[in-house]
Amino acid sequence: MIKRILITLIAVTYLLPIFSAELNIYTSRHYDSDNTLYAEFTKKTGIKVNIISGNGSALLERLKSEGSNSPADLFFTVDAGNLWKIQKEGYFQSITSKKITSIVPENLIGPNKEWVAIAKRARVIFYNPKKVTLDEVENLSYLDLEKDEWKGRLVIRSSNNIYNQSLVASLIANYGIERTESWARNFVGNFSRKPQGNDRAQIMAVAKGQADIAIANSYYYGLMLSGLKGEEQKEAAENVTMLFPSQKEEGVHINISGLGILKSAKNMDNANKFIEFLLTDEFQEHMVFNSFEYPISKSVSPHPLIEGAGLNFKEDEISVTNYGKFNSEAVKLMDRVGWK
Amino acid sequence: MNYLYLRTFSFWKILPTLTFVVFVSPLVIVLLSLTGDYSDNWTHLYNFVLGDYITNSIFLVLGVGLISLIIGTSSAWIITKYDFFGRRILEWALILPLAIPPYILAYTFTGLFDDYGSANEFIRWMFNLDSSFVFFPNVRNIFGAIIVFAFTLYPYIYLISRAAFLNQSKTLTDTGRILGLGGYRIFINLGLPMIRPAVIAGLMLVIMETLSDFGAVDHFAIQTFTTGIFRTWYGMYDLHTAMQLASLLLLFIIVFLVLERSSRMNAAYNSPVSNANSSSSEKLNGSKSFLCFIGCFIPIFIGFILPILELSRWAFTYNTGFFNESFFIQAKNTFLIALMASIVCTVIAFTINFSVRHTKVIFLKRINPFLSVGYGVPGLILAVGIVQMFTYLDKGIFVGFDFVLTGSLFGLLLAYLIKSYALSNSTIESGFERLSNKLDDSARVLKSSGWNLLLRVHFPLMKTSLLTSILLVMSEVVKELPATLILRPFNFDTLAVSTYIYAAEERMFEAASPAIAIVVIGLIPIIILTRMIKDSKDTPYLK
Repeated sequence: MIKRILITLIAVTYLLPIFSAELNIYTSRHYDSDNTLYAEFTKKTGIKVNIISGNGSALLERLKSEGSNSPADLFFTVDAGNLWKIQKEGYFQSITSKKITSIVPENLIGPNKEWVAIAKRARVIFYNPKKVTLDEVENLSYLDLEKDEWKGRLVIRSSNNIYNQSLVASLIANYGIERTESWARNFVGNFSRKPQGNDRAQIMAVAKGQADIAIANSYYYGLMLSGLKGEEQKEAAENVTMLFPSQKEEGVHINISGLGILKSAKNMDNANKFIEFLLTDEFQEHMVFNSFEYPISKSVSPHPLIEGAGLNFKEDEISVTNYGKFNSEAVKLMDRVGWK
Repeated sequence: MNYLYLRTFSFWKILPTLTFVVFVSPLVIVLLSLTGDYSDNWTHLYNFVLGDYITNSIFLVLGVGLISLIIGTSSAWIITKYDFFGRRILEWALILPLAIPPYILAYTFTGLFDDYGSANEFIRWMFNLDSSFVFFPNVRNIFGAIIVFAFTLYPYIYLISRAAFLNQSKTLTDTGRILGLGGYRIFINLGLPMIRPAVIAGLMLVIMETLSDFGAVDHFAIQTFTTGIFRTWYGMYDLHTAMQLASLLLLFIIVFLVLERSSRMNAAYNSPVSNANSSSSEKLNGSKSFLCFIGCFIPIFIGFILPILELSRWAFTYNTGFFNESFFIQAKNTFLIALMASIVCTVIAFTINFSVRHTKVIFLKRINPFLSVGYGVPGLILAVGIVQMFTYLDKGIFVGFDFVLTGSLFGLLLAYLIKSYALSNSTIESGFERLSNKLDDSARVLKSSGWNLLLRVHFPLMKTSLLTSILLVMSEVVKELPATLILRPFNFDTLAVSTYIYAAEERMFEAASPAIAIVVIGLIPIIILTRMIKDSKDTPYLK
């Protein structure tokens, strides 16, 4: 009995990958709209897309274990830190397609073209216009949030979250550890509550008057305004104002969704085709309208719902590889200042 | 002893030894990290966070242990000793929370009790209060987590205590009466101490599950030992230190297991008197009956009804594509792999426990409890150990074959076996304990031994325990997440994976339908289990 089950199991495992044209992706991006995207790609090219989604670090461990036997062709993540980690461990190969590298700006591409960004998000400030004066937010920077005038007025999510880790890592890269630590200590002192909930929960807290200022990712605002998350969230988003911080300084903190081709890739052509597809205007528009991220392609404009917050904002153009480089330092720094 | 052990070579010794090697290797790989270098991150951990991780974990375990003990044993006592309004239903309904994974209860708790959660909104609407009025206390803290774990895990203690109370002789209660003790004192002074070893065994499962959980504590942003392991891995990019932390947790659990075993060895707790007259229970009326009903209903309400109500609200309000194709594929995957894992796991546990009993080799008896250690290791760390073990196997043994264990269904199945063996083992071990040794002796006289004894004598007598084991493992595998995430083959989605993928982004409304499906599939084995409890005096139970 057991033997029979085992044989069936092994047979099933073997028979699964019998498809001629395919592409194997490890991804830590879990958006519903991505499934439509894979289906669209298959329809266009006839290439079947196989997916394993999971946490980036865990997938990297699996990749290491599989070594050159790995069936994976592409690694797709929602933050620059993981891309950097895979790049540093030497699992990516350089992307040669000019079609790809000519579209993506320099700071959003690996040092040896190991990976490219396909979408951007900004970590921005949301404030309650009824409780915060225009004067107070004029030229507001991340660093300004250490000031006493913000005591008990800030909300932000837990330091376990990768977006916060990347933000602090970028501040370390820009201002050094010492300056960032003294900032973080005061910043944490200004929290109105122990960090809890996701980015949308922070925006809600500001909308409901529990706090005056929140830091959260830009696309959540679009998501809430769209009404896809219910009437209550839509209403809440309408009661807050989105602001790009640090416009007089380094610019607003940018993170990316990105991917690279693995050295073990057996379906090179298909992998290149897939990345090229992600950077076509057609897909960039799909993404803008479904996940409310900012496009990489210059000929596509952001979603009208987040256009209102301004289009000509200054981005922090520091290379996103710094987020990975300083991530560990950032986590330890947040531990030291008691950012839960 | 080694010499003797090898000389009398037989299948019954090879199987447990081989299983031991396979089950323990991934854990040994994790433990081996202790022999490697200690990075600078240790100084940081020690100076800033380790204290918090440890105190929070201890506080959590103590709280969960205490509350689940109180709920589990007292409800079991009331159900066995008294007859009151609704008892027939409550008797099996008390197990239902087992179908709710702690992380799902945690998600629904914040959905209900956050400042703008549905429970608070309901209160405001009922009493027409201002929107700033908040009735329920914040649940995103360690007390909330204690409630979540206690109300999802108490059934382990309930199941085991109920079976033990049923087997307790009625003479015990009568003795108490003669001594002038009230019902409550009989429970505390006589009933409970008599079933201590059984209760401790159930408590071990509760503690191991609490310590290994990541989802619920992460959702509540509580820094425990387990979240610390993941922060070190994901945040500091330091898997090695993370594995060293996990090793400490593992050692702690091993010490606990050893203590539990030795505490059990010192005393015999079986009652010499038969339990023939234990079935009569005292009939209660009026307020006492109502109190008993409420006492047993509250755990079911918090641990099962409330989360189901909230999940249903999410699913029906926000989800349109409930019964689409991918949903059915996920449900099928989940069900089939759970069924397969539970059957294989039960067969192994049955054979190994038989080996221990049949060969009477001390070494086998000693290693058996260690096969269960996998249960207490955080799933993802266990998965890392398994992935690394597969790497050795793939690159060493299977190198000539065109087959990789990693990412195969076989690898996933193995992970489930290591993870849930404890459940099978405890059920079957206690089943065997109830079979008198005289039975084996008689069988031997009739020239029945080995396979014949196992299949013709023990198997028919152990059917209930075997079924219980299959059902418990199924309900566990259906909920399993972290190992599935990293070990699964391409495109192999289970319901837990799909719930996680939404919940990780706190898109709870979309997570609701797969979460309900997990509960429903987890309910199938539990309903069968409850039928067995209802129908037979020979209650299936865990030990």
